[in-house]
Amino acid sequence: MFEVIMYDGGVYRSDELFEMIEDVGGAVLQKIRSSQMLTVTMSIPSEDKETVSALCKEIGGEVKEVPLAGTEIAVVGPTLGRHHMPHPICDIAEALRRKGALSIVMGLARGRGKQTAQISASEVGIINEYDAAILCFGNFKSCIEAKAELMKDIRIPLILVCGPRPEGLEDYCEGIIPGVGRKSERMRSSEERNKLEEIVSMTGEVLKDKRKRMSEDPLFVHPSEVKQVLENYPPIDMCLRPSPIVLHMDGLRAKIPYDENIEAVSNIMVYDRRLGDIAKITESKLDRSSMLIKIKTGSEVEYDDARNAAKKP
Amino acid sequence: MDITVHGSDPFGNEGYKVLFGNIMNDLGEALAIEKAELVLKAEIPLFIFSVRLRAEPVSKTIADVSSLREEGSGVYITITDERYAPEILKAMWSKYGRNSVDQQTRFDMSVSNADLETVSKTVVASGEEVVKEIIGAVWRSMPEGIRVRHVFITGTVITVVATEEIMKPEYMKEGAEVHIAMGGSADV
Repeated sequence: MFEVIMYDGGVYRSDELFEMIEDVGGAVLQKIRSSQMLTVTMSIPSEDKETVSALCKEIGGEVKEVPLAGTEIAVVGPTLGRHHMPHPICDIAEALRRKGALSIVMGLARGRGKQTAQISASEVGIINEYDAAILCFGNFKSCIEAKAELMKDIRIPLILVCGPRPEGLEDYCEGIIPGVGRKSERMRSSEERNKLEEIVSMTGEVLKDKRKRMSEDPLFVHPSEVKQVLENYPPIDMCLRPSPIVLHMDGLRAKIPYDENIEAVSNIMVYDRRLGDIAKITESKLDRSSMLIKIKTGSEVEYDDARNAAKKP
Repeated sequence: MDITVHGSDPFGNEGYKVLFGNIMNDLGEALAIEKAELVLKAEIPLFIFSVRLRAEPVSKTIADVSSLREEGSGVYITITDERYAPEILKAMWSKYGRNSVDQQTRFDMSVSNADLETVSKTVVASGEEVVKEIIGAVWRSMPEGIRVRHVFITGTVITVVATEEIMKPEYMKEGAEVHIAMGGSADV
C-alpha cells in the first residue's frame, strides 16, 4: 500500500530525500522548486512513511498530508470576468492545491446571465478531461437553478459551489456546497476558511468514491509507474513547462505535442507491453501541445489480448 | 454610505449589500455616495441600482484640490487631495513641459515660468468623469450577464436599470419610480 505525502522545506540536503524515495521504491509525483524552497509530493510505501518523515524533519522540512495528491481538478466559473475572478474561484483552487491537487481555473465563454448562459461542446470536452470539477455559481437561487443545463453533459464528478441552496439539482452533481456565492474579496474570515475546508473535504470524499468504483476493476498499471517510465523520454525530460507530466486517477497528462510524439510514446514499453496497447492515448482538447494517456483496466487489457489472439491464424 | 436592498432572495440581498459596499470602497466611490438603493429581482431578471451622491459632481480645478503660492517666476503646488495628484502632474507636464515641473514629493511640486492664475484655473477632473466613474462602479457591482442597461441621471441621483434581454417599458417605469423616490426628477 502506497501513501502520498508532501515535503515542504528548503533545497538543503534534498538529494538525500530523493535518494531515500528511490531506495524505498517510492516515486516523486511532483517537484516544485521556487528559489531556495522546495515542495515534493511523493508516493511511498506505508511501512517506510516514518523513516521518510524523519528524514524530512532532519533536513529542516515539514511533512504534510495531501489527500488530493495525484489528481487534477478544474475549478470552473461562468466567465473569466472580474465579476467572478479572482474570488472565490482562485481561493478554491488555492485551497485544493494546498491539499496536493493540481488545480486549474477555467472560465466559460458564455456562462454569464440567466437565460443566455451556455456551455459549448468543446468546453464540456475540456472539463471532462479532469478527475473532478468544481462549478462556482452566484447569489440567486432562481439563477442557479436556471443554469442546471450547463452541468448536464459533464461526465466527471462535479461539485456545485453557490450562494443559496438550489432545489432539484442533486442529480446533476455529486455535491452542493451553499453559502459562498459571488465575492469581491479574498475568502479570509474564519467562516470563509471553514467553507474552503468544506469544499476540499467534499472533493476528497467524491474522489474517494471514484477511487472505490475504480478499484472494482483496477487499472492495468498505476499512473505513477507510467510516469516513472515517461520521465526518461527525452521530449518530456527536456520539457520546460511546469509539471510536464500531471497524474490523473486513471492516467496522466503529458505536456508534449501529440502529433510529434504519439508514435514514440505508443511504443514505449511498460512491463513488456507497448504503452499504446495498455492505454488510450488521445490529443488533449485543451491545447494541441498536450496528450492524455488513459490507462486501460485489467479486464480491458485482457479482453484486447483475447481478441488479438482470436484474430491470429 | 447607507445601502438599502429590496429583493426576493434573502441570500442575494445580504450578499449584494456586502458586495456593493466592497466594490464602492475598492473603487474609492464610497465617500461620494450618500445613499444607495438596490432592487434585485433575479427571477425576472431586473436589477435597479440607484445612488444619491453627497454633492453634485462639478469640475475640479487645481485650486480646489491643492494650495498654491507664487515663488519667484513660478508656482509652488501642495496637493491636498491625493487622488488628483496624477492628473495635476499630467496637466502641468502638458502645459509647461517636463523640464519646467519639479516634483519633490508626491504632494509637492514647483512649476517654473508659470503664473498663479492660469495654474489655479486648470481643470483636473470634470464632473462628467466623476459620473462616468460612478456608473462604471455600479455596472461592476451588477451581475455580469445583465447587460441591457439604461441610466437615469438627475443632479445627484444616478439610477441604473438593467435586464438580460429586452428592456420592457414596465422595467423602465419601475426604474423611474426608484429614481424619483431617491430624489431624482420625473422628467428623465
